[in-house]
Parts: sequence; structure tokens; C-alpha cells
Amino acid sequence: MIEFQELARVYGDFTAVKPLSLTVQRGEVFGFLGPNGAGKTTTIRMMMGILVPSAGRALIGGLDCHAQRAEVQRHVGYLPDNPIYYDFLRGREILQFVAEMHGLPPAEAQVRTRRLLAEFGLEDVVDEFAVNYSMGMKKKLGLACALIHDPEVLILDEPINGLDPRAARDVQDRLKQAAAEGKTIFMSTHLLDMAEKVCSRVGIIHRGELVATGTMAELRVNEDASLEEVFLQVTDENSAQVLAP
Amino acid sequence: MTGAAPLLHSTWLLVRLRLRRLANQTTALRQQSAFSGKVRTGNAGKKSSKLIFYLIWPLMMFGFGSLMRAALVNLHGALDPSDSFWRTVEFSPELTIGAAFLLGVLWFASLLMTVGGGELAKSDWDLEWLVTLPIRAETLLWARILERSIVNPSGFLALLPVCTVIAWYSGFRWSAPLVGLLAAWPLLLLAALGRTLLDTGLRLSMRASQLRNLNAAISVLSIVVLYLAISFGLPEKSGFMTGLAGSTPAWFAWTPLGLTVRALNERDVGQMALVTLGLLAQVAVILWLGVRLLRHQLRHGVVAGGSRETARTAASTAGPAGASRLALVRLSAVQRRELTLLGRDRNFLVQSLVLPLLIVGGQLLLGRSGIASNMWHDPNVLASVAFGLAAYSLSMSAFQTLNNEGHALWLLYTFPVSIEDVLKDKAKLWSIITLAYPTVLFAIGIYMTPVLEWKFLAAMLTAYLGIPIYAFIAVALGVYGSNPLEQQQNQKVKPGYVYLFMTLSALYIYAIVTPHPYQRLVFMVLTLLLSFALWQKARDQLPYLLDPDASPPARVSTSDGLIAAMLFFVIQAIAVAAISGSRVTGARVLIAFTIAGGLTYALMRSVYAKAKTLDVPRIVGTQGARPLIGIVAGIGAAIFGVAYLLALEWSGVLDTALRDSEYVSLGLWIVPLAVLAAPVFEEFIFRGLIFGGLRRSFGFWPAALAGAAVFAIVHPPISVLPVFVLGLATAFSYERTNGLLAPMLTHSVYNLSVIAAQAFLL
Repeated sequence: MIEFQELARVYGDFTAVKPLSLTVQRGEVFGFLGPNGAGKTTTIRMMMGILVPSAGRALIGGLDCHAQRAEVQRHVGYLPDNPIYYDFLRGREILQFVAEMHGLPPAEAQVRTRRLLAEFGLEDVVDEFAVNYSMGMKKKLGLACALIHDPEVLILDEPINGLDPRAARDVQDRLKQAAAEGKTIFMSTHLLDMAEKVCSRVGIIHRGELVATGTMAELRVNEDASLEEVFLQVTDENSAQVLAP
Repeated sequence: MTGAAPLLHSTWLLVRLRLRRLANQTTALRQQSAFSGKVRTGNAGKKSSKLIFYLIWPLMMFGFGSLMRAALVNLHGALDPSDSFWRTVEFSPELTIGAAFLLGVLWFASLLMTVGGGELAKSDWDLEWLVTLPIRAETLLWARILERSIVNPSGFLALLPVCTVIAWYSGFRWSAPLVGLLAAWPLLLLAALGRTLLDTGLRLSMRASQLRNLNAAISVLSIVVLYLAISFGLPEKSGFMTGLAGSTPAWFAWTPLGLTVRALNERDVGQMALVTLGLLAQVAVILWLGVRLLRHQLRHGVVAGGSRETARTAASTAGPAGASRLALVRLSAVQRRELTLLGRDRNFLVQSLVLPLLIVGGQLLLGRSGIASNMWHDPNVLASVAFGLAAYSLSMSAFQTLNNEGHALWLLYTFPVSIEDVLKDKAKLWSIITLAYPTVLFAIGIYMTPVLEWKFLAAMLTAYLGIPIYAFIAVALGVYGSNPLEQQQNQKVKPGYVYLFMTLSALYIYAIVTPHPYQRLVFMVLTLLLSFALWQKARDQLPYLLDPDASPPARVSTSDGLIAAMLFFVIQAIAVAAISGSRVTGARVLIAFTIAGGLTYALMRSVYAKAKTLDVPRIVGTQGARPLIGIVAGIGAAIFGVAYLLALEWSGVLDTALRDSEYVSLGLWIVPLAVLAAPVFEEFIFRGLIFGGLRRSFGFWPAALAGAAVFAIVHPPISVLPVFVLGLATAFSYERTNGLLAPMLTHSVYNLSVIAAQAFLL
């Protein structure tokens, strides 16, 4: 469903993502792990057509994420790490707008808007301007925006970063539900327990390079090594050891 | 351990911080204007143009000073008896009060300018941060007022010149600027207090969105008050304000404003000291009371009001905004959202629609051009004003489309809609909204015109047609000229592109006022093509908007063709002038033409090679030369051309046209010129670049028609029609062969046939 072909990105002299090849199958929940500044957000923005690859390409459903961006977005829902909304618009209006931009007829858009707002427990704040939402509410609204057109693929940048425990649990449950519905999920995170709970497969990116991929079981060097230990080991500055898949 | 910072030290720190910020802002602003693309602010950058900045300030002060001098003269003329010589050192009591009133208006304008300067519109309140510093609240408030009395550019601009002028005429002469500065400072302290009281009170009681709307209202009010202050100094416009000054009550002389004027004007040193002391005492008492009031305002702590705002109103529960109301016009989701924002965000409304009206209207009313009185009698002036107003409004609205998306721009990238379509929707919406200005003006114009003439209708139509074209130009230039992700309001726009838009708009005025219908047509076709070209450039940029440093690969664009065509005509004119001297001969024209064509070709090719441009036109296309296609198309165009020639000859139009034109006989030189040189160079520019550039964004027919139209209008009016057909035929050859050889042949065959027909048939 998602495929990177030698996808790379440089900013001037700085290489943010080294040529990266990876395939995520339909229905997988793929966790894209890495320390801060490893290139996770850059990769995700290239998948969204927000950044242009310096070399290689990203494909979703066989379509090029840069050259056929509009076509790709039909099948994709996206939640950025820090969703910023239009000033002077209420949460309900933003969701309605997003739905209509996805081509839903206004009446249908309204029905879905109401349903998703109820699902995310945002009914109390639907009439507030979205810029005034707390981080948790903004992320929930963003997730609602990502889900409103019922996409096959979800691309989520740090979906529960900065959320309180309850909100984080809500979002995780919603993601598990989406996975159960057969959606392909690609999410970046540096919260390892979340990755362990939700993801079927993870990849660890470090300094722009994919240093390990596999299921939890495959990544564990010994029986009781936690994901945290694996993560610390492969992202260790001094260790030359690379767990290539 | 260090204790709480003392007043002077904290004032100094605050002042330094503000000045640093102001300097950073102006530095960033200067860097932007250099067309330098995506500037990362915070860098020191080049320091070359600082000199200009330091020159502009004194110049502005001087300009405002001379206006204030005129204001004082006008006040004297209105308030003092006509036979009194006014440059007496001693002001009459009436003039003292009048001057105090003038000072008051300026003071009020400066207060409004600082309050409405945009700080209120920001969601962050710096006091919330400052109270966390280890300074006593009382000290902090005093420091804040002191700091704001010093770092206040608009306050200095408003008050320093007038105080200096009063000091000058009170006999201080060359020490007047210094005395003026000393006199202005107490008033600036009061302005700082007023500003602090206002913004603190407003911050505590109002919600962020209300503050933004209020900010908009204050900024409008500040412009009105400033205009009133300026009108003091304008001949024949000062009556209203001097009248008000005349009816100001006598106790005004005892206010800080009156005392300032009196202290400046007093000749007796003892008296002067007394008045100054009184002034200082008043200011001190007011400041002390003000700080008390501030303490009272902040008694519950520094918490901005309504940080969690609810916008629950009766209207908000009524369902999707505007869905039913606007059923008359089918608006897209983007357009509906834009209208909703326009309805809610007063700042946006004022910036895009009210401010243009105020500024253009103010210029017309206060200016000396007489346009305001002429425009109802001269349709050209009316149409120009209408178009100018609309264009100015577009520079504040359509130009800002990306900036209005701001940090929410990412949302557009998540939709299965191209960004170009969103921008098109917005360009359409703004062109419709902006049509309101000309419509109102024309309605008044029609009402005031006894007989509706063709001249009126033509000017009106030209202005109307220009607005959608310029809406698209504004959006396209806005793609280059805006920084949607910039935090600072004043750094969101790159001024160079705004000036470019205003210059292009001013050019269109020519199309409105020209008396020749053909020139009007030429101008409109060129403007239309320019809008295509700019739109295409902008469109190439769209996938890269949120990318901090990647830019689109270079491709042949319509704009390249326009530049090449201009280059060609300019070089040709220079070459003809250089080699011909007094006598223009066929050989010399041929040489000039070849030089111009060759130079243009070489320049464009070298630029393309340097930029590694894609799709540079080739002589032989990928599918081979296929000369037959070119020749057949040429014969087709030639049949039309010769038939047209014969029809002209038969109707007698040709003779008149030839007699009237400044016809240069080229002799036999016409043959190599028309059959070799013209096809080679003109095909490269008009087919290779212009048609090829258009074809990249449009289907065959729109590109061929637009390309042929441009090709036709650079020829004399008499040959426009057959050349237009030739343009279509060559476009067809180029399209079919993907190389320049075939259209060159088409062009040759056509030219040869027409020359032969002129030589042998006529």
C-alpha cells in the first residue's frame, strides 16, 4: 500500500533522510520510530506532498505522492504533529469544510461531522473557535479531519504526543479500531510503549537512515529485551552495530 | 543573591529589548525587499542598505515638519486678526489654544496608531511573560510606561515635528529640535500611559477574537484622525479643523497640551520655569494616578480575558454557515469559508476592503490633483479611479490569499484538490467582491451624466474587464510575494511584489484612457497574456510552498516568451538606430533584424543552458523533421492571406492604408528578410516560447488562439487578421511535429506567397 523507493531529502548541505526503501502492506499498522530530529516528520511530509523529495519517490496505492498529490489525498487521512487551524472558525465548521473539500455533499458532510465529533467527545466545544482548543482537543479534531472521508490509509505524525493519559488512551483505542477495520496506518512516534501496544511492525530511523525494521519479535535480540532496549541500542551514537533487516 | 531589579535598570533592559526587536524587524523587512526568496529571519544579513534607512527617518520628519509649519500658518490665518504679523515671538492666546488643539489631535492620532498598531491583534500578551521576571509589579509598570515613551516611532513622528516648529517660531531657532524633543517627551509619557491603560484594560476584559476586531476599528480610526491632523496643513482644506480649533474653550490652555505650548512660547524665564513646573507636576500626578489605576486593573493578576472563548450565539447553532442563504450563487467550500471569515474577522474585512477605500479616498480628497472634482465629469478619470481602487483592494485581498491561509496552509495539502483550483476559486471570489467599488462609482457616474456616451461605456467596460484579470495577477504574484508561515504580520508580505503589482495596475490605466480602440485591444490582449504567464509561474511554485528550500525545476514558460519578445523589439530598435543613421534601407533593416534575433536567441539559449531548463524548443522534433506538414499548413495560411489581400485591393482599403502608413521600401531585401530571417527568429520566440509555454498549461486551442493573438497584435492593424491565421497554422505545424522546422517552413511559404502576390497580382 505504501512504498518508498530510494526516497531521500537534503536541506542544503544537511541530509535529513538518506535513500530509504520500505514497503508497508495493506492493513499493517507501521510504527516509524526514531529520536527527535531523525527525519520522521520530513519523511511524512514527503508522503503528503508538502515537501518535495530530493531523490527517489514515495508511492501510496501505486500513485506518486508528489506528482499525483491530489489523487493520493483521496485515499489518505493525515494528522500533523502540531495541527494549526484557521482563526475565527469553530471546530464543527472546520470539520464540515474538510469534509466538503473531500467532495462529500454538504448534507452527508454534516452527518459525518456530527458523528465524529460525538465519537471523539468534542460535542462540548464544537462551538468554540478551534484555535483556542487545548493540544488534546486539537489532536482529536485533527484525527477527526483525517477520518472524515473514510480513507484507506492513515498517516499520523506523533498522534499522542502531548496528550494527557485519558486523551492518549482515547486516541489509541480509535487507532486500534481503525486498524481492525482494515485501514493501513503509518505513524511516527518516539513513545515506545504506544508503538508496542498498537503497531504490528516498526522501523527505527536514526540520523536519516533506517537502521532496523521488523515485528516486535524480530527486533528483540533476546527473549526479554524491551523495545526500549532495542531502540537505545540501535540509536546509540557510539555503537556501530546495525540491525539490518 | 540578587534582589528585585531597580527601576532604572529594568527600564534600560526593557528599552534595549524593544529597540533590539525594532532593529531586527526593520532588518528583516529590508532583506525581504531584495527579492531574496525565502528568507530565514534572525540572521544578521548584509548591512549595506542601513544608510538609506537612517536617511529616510530625517526626511519623513522634515516632510511632516513642513506640513506642521503650514498648519501653524493656517491656524494663525484663521485665529489671529488679519493685520497682525504672526511671526512675533509671542503667540496670541487664541493661537496658543489653537496650537494646543493641533497638538492634541496629533497626540490622539499617535495614541491610536500605537494601540491599533497590531499588538492587540496578537494572541500573546508580553505582560504575561514580563510579570514572571523578578521585578516588583510597581517597578514593572513604571518601566513599561517609560519604555513605551521612548520606543514609540509613530509618537515621535507625530509630536516631534510640531513641537520643533512651535519652538522655532517661539524664538529658539537652531536649538528648536532639542527643545522640541524635551517638550514632546512629557506628552509621549502621557501617550505611553494611555496606551498601557488601554491595552491592559482591553486585554483583561476582551477575548482574543474581539481584540482583533477592535484592533481593526482602532486602526481605521487612527487613519481618520491622522487625515484630520494632516488637513490642518493643507491649503483650502484646513477650514474645518481650524474652525474647531477656534471654538476650543480657554481652559484648554491649562491642560498639559496647552501648558506645553505656553512653556515653549513663554519668553520670560521665570514665567517659563513656572509653566514648565506646572506641566511637569500635572504629568507626574496623571502618571501616578494612572499607575494606581493600572495596579487596580491588575489586582486579580495578569490573566488575559476569555482565553477559552465560547462563540455560542443564536446564529451558531443554525447549521452549516451560509448553505441556504447563498443558494443563489453556487459557491465552492473555499469561497464560503472565505466569506465566513470576512464576516467574522473585522481585521481581515478592514484590511482588504475598508482600508483601500479610506486610503485612496483620503488621497483624492486631500490631494491637490483635483481628481475628486473631475472624476464625475470625465469618464476616463472615473474609470481610472474605479479601477485603481479595485486594484488597490486586490493588493490587500487577492494578493494575500496564501497569507490568509497562514499556518493552516497544511490543510490544503490534505485535500484531493489541486492548490491551483483553490487559488482559482479565491481569485474568482475576490474579483466579484472587488467589482463592488467600480459598480458604485459607475452608478453615481451614470446618475450624474446627462447623456450616456460611448466613451463612458468603453472606459467602464475596460475597467470592468481589467478587474478579473488583475485578480488573477494579484493571486499569482501573491504566491511569490507572501510568507504565509511568518509570525510577524509586517513580514508576511515582500514589498517588492506589491510594488510590482501596483506598477502593473498603473499600466492598465493606459488601456482605460487611450483614445484608440486598437491600442486598447492590444493592451488588453497583452495584459491577459501576462496574467497567464504569471499564473503559470505561480502554478509551478505551488507544490513547493511549504518546502523551506526546494524550488521547482526550470521549464520553458510563457513569461520567457514575453521577455524574449520584448528583448527582441528593443534590440532591433537600438540596432536600426545604430546602423542606419539618417537613412533606413532594406539591407540595414535585414542586418538589424538578424542581430536582434540572433542576440535574443543566444541569450535565451545560454540562460536555459545555465538553468538546465526542461523542454527547450528544438529545430527538429522527436518524430523527425516532417517538412511536408509545415509546407501544407503554409499553403493553407497563404491562400487565406492572398485572398485577404485581393479583397482589400478590391475594396480600395489597401491603397489608403499604404498611403497613410510611413512605408519604407525595402526593395528586394524583403525577400531574405521575410523568407529566412523572420521565420527563423519569430518562430523561436512566438511558437517555441510563447505558444510552447502556453501549451504546457492549456489545451491546443486556447494556447494556439492566445499565441496567435499576441503574434497578430505586434503586426500593423491592417495585417492582423491574416497574421492571426498564420499564427494558428504555425501553431498547428509545431503541435504536429514538436519541432521548429515545420512552423518555420509554414511561415516562409506564407510570407513568400504574400510578397509574390503583392509583386505580381496587384
